[in-house]
Parts: sequence; structure tokens; C-alpha cells
Amino acid sequence: MTVLNVSSIQRFSTGDGPGIRTTVFLKGCNLRCPWCHNPESISKKTETLIYPGTHRAVTYGKTMSLEELFDDVIEDIDFYRESGGGVTVSGGEPLLQPVGVGELARRLRSVGISTLVDTAGCVPWENFLCVADHVDTFYYDVKTADGALYENVVRGDKALVFGNLGRLVEAGKDVAVRIPLIPGFNMSGADHEKIYGELKKTGARRVDLLPFHRLGSSKYEAMGLTYGYKDTPPPEEAKIEKIKKIYEDGFIVRIEK
Amino acid sequence: MILDGLKEEMKNAPSGEYCPDLFRAQGYASSNGTTVSQIRADGIAALFTAPKPYIYKNDLTVGSIRPYFTELSEEDRKTVCLYEEKYPERDFEKNGDHFAPDYFTAVRIGIPGLIERIGRSEEKHKNDESALDFLSSMKKTLYALIGKLEAYAAAADGLIGKEGYDDGRLRTVRDNCRALTVSAPRNFEEGLQLVWMIHSCFVSEGRYAMALGRIDRYLYPLFERDIESGRIDEEYATELLAGVFLKICENRYRGFDDVVNICIGGVDEDGKCSVNKLSLCVLHAVRDVNLPGPNLSARITADTPDGFLDECLRVIGTGLGYPALMNDEVNIAALLRKGYDLRDVRNYCMVGCIENFITGKQPPWVDGRFDPICYLEEILLESDADFLDGIRSMDEFMELYERKLARGVSEYVRSANRRSFVHDPGDRTSPFLSCFCELCIERGRDINDGGALYPSVHGAALMGIGTVSDSLSAIEKTVFVDGSVKLSEIAEGIKRNFEGKEKLRETLRSAPKYGNNDDFVDKYAVWYAGTLSDMFDRYRTNDGGAFYTAMAANTSNIEAGMSLQATPDGRLAGQPLSDAASPTYGCDVRGVTSTLLSVSKPDYTRCACGTVVNQKFSPSAFEDGKREKLLKLIRVYFARGGQEIQINSTSREVLEDAMVNPDRYQSLVVRVSGFSAIYVTLSRDVQEDILSRTQQQL
Repeated sequence: MTVLNVSSIQRFSTGDGPGIRTTVFLKGCNLRCPWCHNPESISKKTETLIYPGTHRAVTYGKTMSLEELFDDVIEDIDFYRESGGGVTVSGGEPLLQPVGVGELARRLRSVGISTLVDTAGCVPWENFLCVADHVDTFYYDVKTADGALYENVVRGDKALVFGNLGRLVEAGKDVAVRIPLIPGFNMSGADHEKIYGELKKTGARRVDLLPFHRLGSSKYEAMGLTYGYKDTPPPEEAKIEKIKKIYEDGFIVRIEK
Repeated sequence: MILDGLKEEMKNAPSGEYCPDLFRAQGYASSNGTTVSQIRADGIAALFTAPKPYIYKNDLTVGSIRPYFTELSEEDRKTVCLYEEKYPERDFEKNGDHFAPDYFTAVRIGIPGLIERIGRSEEKHKNDESALDFLSSMKKTLYALIGKLEAYAAAADGLIGKEGYDDGRLRTVRDNCRALTVSAPRNFEEGLQLVWMIHSCFVSEGRYAMALGRIDRYLYPLFERDIESGRIDEEYATELLAGVFLKICENRYRGFDDVVNICIGGVDEDGKCSVNKLSLCVLHAVRDVNLPGPNLSARITADTPDGFLDECLRVIGTGLGYPALMNDEVNIAALLRKGYDLRDVRNYCMVGCIENFITGKQPPWVDGRFDPICYLEEILLESDADFLDGIRSMDEFMELYERKLARGVSEYVRSANRRSFVHDPGDRTSPFLSCFCELCIERGRDINDGGALYPSVHGAALMGIGTVSDSLSAIEKTVFVDGSVKLSEIAEGIKRNFEGKEKLRETLRSAPKYGNNDDFVDKYAVWYAGTLSDMFDRYRTNDGGAFYTAMAANTSNIEAGMSLQATPDGRLAGQPLSDAASPTYGCDVRGVTSTLLSVSKPDYTRCACGTVVNQKFSPSAFEDGKREKLLKLIRVYFARGGQEIQINSTSREVLEDAMVNPDRYQSLVVRVSGFSAIYVTLSRDVQEDILSRTQQQL
């Protein structure tokens, strides 16, 4: 029986793709972005967070059979159909559970529900092959074009990320590149000129910019961790606009708030 | 601009005491009438004509409560008391207000037309002394209305040339008022002036929650003609409407907000979608006023254009919370069950908050609260342990509960019928109000004495659907499914308010809760709406009208909860019951789509009065690109049979308040990219980030 390690399920997700969507956050990630706003989805283990302020305890991490998960997300089918929405699988890194994600996506598409996978791309190409046929759109995170930064800060592999991206685009998939704008990490013009150059080579067409926010910091507190970005304010509008300009030459650019 | 000026002027509260009854008492004192109706008509005539008119410098449409503020001597107070006792008025419980007047007829034929109708009726009833008596008192009040318009015309004329006034506006006011004394309104300005003057008269009579109803229907013919001829444009029409809606807020001088329901959209009498340009003007006028008082409702049909619904959402997104969105299909089906003519049903509007009303064709609305929870508690608290543990199945328990409820409904109805409507129909007449209700003139009878086309109805607001459903779910799950708890233990826990029974309370709380699209518990909500509506269907009001059910009770869920013991859902004694038709606050945890899937399960065509479902969204949900998702959410909810939804865009003020009083906002969700968060769980600087975003968007 195929099972998935689900962190949480969020309905009426309005920031994770077109229309009304349900986002399934899978648990477990192979990257360690220090600004991560979903820290509860990094570890594969089940975790209970007790939020300060409400003392509300929320448990993240639940093994669900494919059947269970499918039944859960299919409840909102009327909303998906009316709005052109569907199901988004995010994480964590969803493609660390490629068989389950592929099977879920296949079943959803067989009943006409559109599927979107939000990945950071740092997985073997075979993992993409498990899902690619059943996924309508990929949200594809690119954090930097600096190989050393990828390795040392994010713990990822730049070559793998850009390589997979190129192959995905080449395979004709609908891909939106998602770039988080992180103060102190990738906010300079030079950073983005470099990313721009690399992206050009992949043939990608769409770029979404995601300005940093610290809305995840209470989760760190609830996990008993210290958030390194606790005192980092969101980037200024003007800086974001400047970066946007760089990509506007050749890409369809959106700022996602 | 004129609106801003008017807002500024209205900041100066009038001095003295609000006492229209002083003027009415003067009318009673000098009356030569020989019947109660005649004397009452003299009182009303004085009420309308004795005070000196008040015209704001920025008035485009006149009519104000300011003239009723006055200095009262001891002697005056005595006089007022004397006549209030001698000629008592009907209040809400006695079908006195919460009424949607027939402005369709008033606007079409004007005051002279109504007087003419009375003349014809007098002819018809020439041998019926009591009809003639009532008709002549009706006529007297209409002449008083003419007198009031004349007084305002004269006052406007007298102000011409005075500093601070705009002579052009004064001439318009003067001419409009004069024209209305001799003919039906000839243009939009006059139509609005007529309606507002009549409404002001109702307010001076002491009536509350008098609806303006389908203003985008009855003023539309005049509006359309004026727009086509170029006499007015939409901007000016919006400004005129805003000036009128703003003056609803004059009631703040008396210390409260009136609840004047205004209804836009919906189908016309032929069943076609009737959204027009005037609907948008009304919507924008309410937005521009930006105050509670004008209570805007939008009737939404499947073929209401997306553009109109989107515009409604934009206005809601300003933080105002209006309009409330009503599912036309459900409301029409619900009212048709009560046997009204289809065309009358299609022309329904709302009075007060959300109460469905057949415009100008039935006596004023009455309602009360029915609390099913006390009957559940009665079973648990008044039975001994052996009896409780002898109940073998959930079905058996439900049978018992239904028997208690049936008895409760019968007692409720008896008491409601004792209070309302029967009070001296011949004595407590309303000659002026009756002029604006169909058939009162033709029959020569008072609106509460057989004059109205349809009989009076009573709305029973059913309390706590969430609390009841969750309680029944907890009983079924723990006692009859899991067998982990005995019914007598639950009773004991409730008696002790779960003190020392924390584990039991946790077990009960972990049973399925309403609002998560789980049939295990949602079936009780379906049962609740259907069964209770069936029970009320067996009864009639004193004059043969229906008992409607509602799931809407303002904030009385808080008050009702205060006097109740703990409940089997784990709610503690004194805590609020679930609100209106919504799930228990904080128990619908799967997200808004699940909430709406649950909430659309009961058959609301059984709830003819209406329901209220409150939902809160952060302002970002109203941004371009996201608003469309909200719109689709509502479309699906309505297609599945949801009856009503009122959406709050969480305003900056709310977020600020939540930072100070986190306990009150335990369920306030802010939706951001990537995930949603309970606002009060966020750290202070993050809350501030959200606040600053909010500010950008407003």
C-alpha cells in the first residue's frame, strides 16, 4: 500500500497556484534553507507544536494512505471545478516521495482535477519521471545561481537543480520558476543577473518572485528553536521592483505576496 | 464633496432631549376626534407638522430627526407620560416595526394618488362606519405628510440667500417638496425625497428597523428616465443616495444605530435577474457612507453577473462587511413553501438584519429566540443515572429529545401568540403605516387588524445549531459507538462543569465537530434544521400566518450561553453558544471550504426567515487576482444550497484589537502565501508586518 507522510493539508489555498486549491504539505526536506517558513515540514518525524499565545497544540506529520489522502482532497472538487483550481503538493520536498505523489496526481487527473507540484528540484531526475506525466504545473524553486551558496547555505546542488529544470522545460512541462528574495542572501542585482543568465539557458518562461516574510517565526518558537531571521524585516518595495526589472526582459514575472 | 460636508455638519449633535412624543401629545390634547383612530391621526398629524423643519447646508434630500430634540419642562414630561399611557404604541413584540413599506406604489402614484385611492375606498365602504372612520384617519396622516413637505419647502425658501447655504440646492429642495404635494414623483430626486420623507415619518413615530427594501427596483423607472435624458448621471445619483443613507446615522444622536435594510439585486417579478446601474449606485453610496445603519443586502442568483458580485466583494473588502450576500434561489423556494403568490415572493426583501419579508404586503415582523439546548440539558440533568444508562441507542435518545423539543415548541408558540398581535387591534391602530401596506386602503382596515394582504408571521430564531450538533455527535460517539463513556457520566460532568472531569471533557471534545464536512456530525445539523422547522410548521400565528424558522440571532448566542450549564460537546457553563448558523467558533478546523460544505448541508428552504453565516478573511483575500477565488467560493456555496454569507474583511482595527485582546480572537486566521496562521499565535513583530501589509492594501 502506498502511503504518504503528510505534514498538513490546507484548503482554500490562494497562494499556491490558479483557482481554489487544496495544498498538501508533505513532511521531509533535503534542503536546509535558514529562512524556511515551513520549518515543521523539514523533519520526517511527527512533531507537535505548541503555539505561544493560544497554547494551541498542532501536530504535523501523519501517515496517510493514498486512498485516504485522495478522499480528503476530492471533497473540494466543486470548488476546483468552478474556479479552475485543483490540488497542489508542496512540502517539505514532495519529490522525496515521488511514487506516492505520482500516484495521487494520476488519480486526481483521472477525475479531471488539475495538479501542481511545488518542488525545490534537488532530487534525482528519476523522481521527476515518476510524477511528470501526471502533473500540470511545476512550481520550481531556485534559490541562487551561486554553486557555493547552494551547497553551503541551502545544502543543495546547483547543477542538479538547474539540470533538472532544463530537462523539465525541455520535456514541455509548464514550469514557473519561484525565487525567494532573501535579505542578506540573494538581494543584490548581481545575484539576480547571475540567476537570470542561468535561467535563460533552461528555456523557462515564467518567474515568480517571493519576497521574504517572517510569518513563519512563531513556528520556530513553537518548536523551541531560534529563527535566524526573526529580526529581519521584509524587503523594501523598491528593491523588489528593481529585481523584477531584471527578469522582465524575457520572462513573464509576477510578485507573489 | 457634498457628502463630506454633510458628514462634517452631522458631527454637531443636537441639544436637548429626543422626544417626538411631546409633539404627538400636543396633537392628542387638541384633538376633537371621537374615535381612537381619529385621535391617533391627530397625534400623528401634530408629530409630522408641529416641529420646525431642519435643513442641513449640504442637504439634497430633506428630512431629519433633529426637530424632535427639544427642552422638556416637568409639565411636558407629565403630558407625554399621560398620553403614552392612554394611547400606547405597538412595539417590536406587537408587530410595530421591522416592516418594508410598499414604496413601489407610493413612488408610482405619489401622495395624491394614495389619497385618491382612499377616496375610492370611502365610496366603496360608504355604509361601513368603522372602515370610513379608519380611512379618514389614514387620509388625515397623508395630509399631514403633505403639510410636512410644505413646511420643508417653505423652510428651504426662507433660507435662500442665507450665509453658508447653496441657493441652487435650496431651490431644488423647495421645488421637489412642493411638487410632491400635488403629484407623483416625476424624477429620481423627487422619488428619493418622497421615500425619505415617509421613512423619516416612520422614525418619528418611534418605529425601528424600517426597511428601504428594493430601492434599485422601485426607483429604477425614474432613475432610468433621468439617466437617459441626461438629467442626472450615476455619480450624482450615488451622491443623492449617500446623503440619504448617511442620515440614517442621525440615530446615533439617540445613542444607537438603526438597522435599515436596503436590498439590491435579485430577480424581478418575472424571475429575471434585475441587477441594474442603480444597484451599483446604491452599493457605492453605502460604501461611501461607510457606517453601520444602512444595512445592505445583496440578493445573488446563479445568473447575477460576476461583475456585480465582484463589486459587492470590493465593498466588503473595504472592511465595511456589507453587503450581506443572500442566495435568491433558496430564499424564494423557502417563501414559496409558505403559500405566497410567486410574484410577491420574487419581490421579497429583508427587514432588520436578514429577515425575509414580503414587501409591503404583510404586517410588521415579529420574532423570538428558541433555545433547543435547554431541552437537551433537561434530559441529562433531570433524569436519574439508571434511566439515562437504560437508553440503549442513539435513536432512542433522539426520540426522547424530539419529544421534549415538540413540547418546547408548543410552549414557545403559545407564549409568542400571547404577546404579539392580539393587543387591541381596534385600539392600537397605525393609520399612517397602513397607507403603505397593500389592501389596507381597499379594505379600510388597519395593517394589524385584517388590512394586510397576507397574515402576520413570526420568526423563531433557533439557537446554537453548532452546539447542539456537536453535543449530539459527542453523545453518539462516546456512548453509543465507542462505549467509552456512560450517559450518566456525561450528565455528571455537566452538573460539575467538568471540574475534576477534565479527561471526560477531552474525550467529548475529540468527537467530530460540525463544520468539518463530516457526515457523522453534520447529519445532526440537517436533522436540526428539518425537524425544528417541521415542528414550527404545525402552528399558526393569531391571524393564520406561518411560524418561520431562522438561524440568526445577532449576538444573543453569548447571552443565551451565559445562563446555560456546560454541554456534552465540552463547552463550559456560561460560554457562548455557537453563533447563528455557523459551526462552533474554533471547531471548524479544516478550512473554509470544509466549513461551507458542512454549512450547506441543511435544507435552508425550510428556514423561511433566513440564516446567518459569518466568515472572516484577511484583506489580502480581496486583492485583485484573489478576489476571484472568493467569488467562486461563494458561487459553489450557493449552488450547494447555502442561504447566506456575510464576510468580514479583517480590518486593521480588528488586527490591532487582536494584539491587545488575543483571547477574543482565537480563531482569527490570516491568510498569507505559503500557509495560513492563527493571527494571535504570531509573534508581535510578525503581527506588525501583517498590519503594515494591511495598511498598504486599504
